[in-house]
Amino acid sequence: MKSRLGALPEAFPDAIVVVDSRGRIIRANARAASLFGFGEHEMSGLPIQTLFPDQRLISAGGRTARRDRAGRHLELVGSRRDSSLFPAVVAVMSAQIDRRTAVVMSIRDLTEAQRTQFMLRRGLQMLASEGWDCRALLRQLIQAREEDRARIAVDIHDDVIQTMSAASLRLQRLRLRLTDEAALQILAELQEAITLSLGHLRQLIFDLRPPDLEAGSLSVAVRGYLEQMHADSGIAYQLNDLLSGRAPESTAMLIYRNVRESLANVRQHARASNVAVELRDLEHGCLVRVVDDGVGYDPADVEDRPGHLGLLLIKERAELAGGWCRIESSPGDGTTVEFWVPFGESSTEPDTRHERAG
Amino acid sequence: MNPLFGRNGRRVLALITGIADLSAPEMDQVTNAWKQAPSGERAAAWAWLVRTATEQERYQILTAASLARREALAAAHRLCRADWAFWAAASDAAAAVAAGARIGHHYDILTAPFAAVMPALVLNATLTADHSAHVAADGQAGPAAYQEGA
Repeated sequence: MKSRLGALPEAFPDAIVVVDSRGRIIRANARAASLFGFGEHEMSGLPIQTLFPDQRLISAGGRTARRDRAGRHLELVGSRRDSSLFPAVVAVMSAQIDRRTAVVMSIRDLTEAQRTQFMLRRGLQMLASEGWDCRALLRQLIQAREEDRARIAVDIHDDVIQTMSAASLRLQRLRLRLTDEAALQILAELQEAITLSLGHLRQLIFDLRPPDLEAGSLSVAVRGYLEQMHADSGIAYQLNDLLSGRAPESTAMLIYRNVRESLANVRQHARASNVAVELRDLEHGCLVRVVDDGVGYDPADVEDRPGHLGLLLIKERAELAGGWCRIESSPGDGTTVEFWVPFGESSTEPDTRHERAG
Repeated sequence: MNPLFGRNGRRVLALITGIADLSAPEMDQVTNAWKQAPSGERAAAWAWLVRTATEQERYQILTAASLARREALAAAHRLCRADWAFWAAASDAAAAVAAGARIGHHYDILTAPFAAVMPALVLNATLTADHSAHVAADGQAGPAAYQEGA
C-alpha cells in the first residue's frame, strides 16, 4: 500500500493521514507526525481515535461517519501525543488503494487561524468602540458649541451692549458741555467708533442666535445669510424653499448651522459664482441641498488632511440628529452638500411665511 | 454578527473588497447608472433607511457606507476616474447591504447602480416582494428575512 501511495503524501502542505477500513492509520506524512507530536513512523497502526478522541470519524465500512453539507470537511478537535488539544479542519475522502477502501484525511491546525480571527474580532470591536467614543465626543463638542454660542450671545446682549450703550449716552451728554472744537472732534470720532462697534456686536448676536430663526422662519434666516454673502462676495444665489411647515426650532437651528457652514466653505474655498440652496420636506424630515458651481476639490486629497472640521461637523451634526449627509465634489465640478434630518418633534404648525425662491 | 457592519457584515465586506476588482468600464457603468437614477428616490431611501434603524444599526450602516466610499474613491483614483457619482454609488450600496432586506424596495433603489456589475447584490426576488408588501402594509420595516444567519 505504501508503495502505491509512494511519496505523494509528503508532497502536500497539510498533514496527511491514510486510514484503513478498520480505522487504523496505515500511512502518515512527516507533517502529520510533527503536528501530533509523534516520530515519523510511530503513527502507523494507531487507531484514528487516538488523534481525534471521542469523535466518530469513520464507520465500520470505511465511510466517513460525520459529514458537513458538502460531505468533505469536518471541524474537529485534535489531540497531540502529550494530550494537548488543538482545533482542526479535516478534509476526508475515500480512496481505493490496492483494491481496498481507505480514507485519506488532510488535517489543518486552526490554532493560528482562530487566534488571528479572535484578534481581528477584538480589533474590530475596539474600532467600533472607539468609533462610538469619537461620536460621543463630537456630540459633546457640538452641544458645547451651541451652548457657548447661546451664552456668548446673552453675555454680549446683557452686558457688553448695555455698557457700550450707556457709554454712548454719556458721550452725548458730555458733548453738550464741550465747546472746544478739537475736543468735539475727538468726541465725534469716539461716538462713531462706539456706534460701529455696537453694530458689529448686534451682527454677532444675529450670527450666534438669528432672531428670524427664533421667530420660526428658517427660510428668512437662510436668506439673510445668503444676502449678506452676496453683498460681501458677489456670489449669486437661488433659494428654493419647499418646506410646507415650520421645522421644530432645534431642527431649524441645526439646518441653519449646516447651511451656514456649507456657505462659508463656498465663500472661502469654492471660487463659485452661483450657489443654490434647496429646502424640502422628505420622510418626516427636511432634505437640504447646497450646490455651488465652484472649482470643487479632490476628496482623497482634502479628506486625508487635518483642518477640515467644518465639513466633519456638517456631517456629524446631521448624523447625530438621526439623519444622513453627503458631501461630494470633484475637481472642476463644484461641490454638493446634501443632508437630511428628521423633525424631532411635531412640525404641524401652519407656515405663515410668504417666502419663496429668490 | 460583525461589530463594525452588523448582521450583514459578510455581505458588506464582500461588496467593499469587490470594488477594487472593478474595471474602468464597469466603474463608468455604475457612474452612469447612478446619475440616471432619480435623486429624490435615493434621498427618500436614505431617509427611510436611517429613520427606521436603531442608533446602533444606524452607526453600522453609516460606517459601512463610509468605508465603501473610501474604497471606491481609492479604486477610482487607481483607474484615473474622478466622478464622485461612483463613490456615492458605493456608499449607497453598502448602506443598503448593511441594512439588508428590511428596507424593502429601498434596497433596490440604493443598490441598483452597483448591482449592474455585481449581480450578487440582487436580493432574492420573493424575499424582496414579501418585504415590500410588509413595509407597505405596516409603514414600518418588517423583520429582516434576508440577513446572514436568518
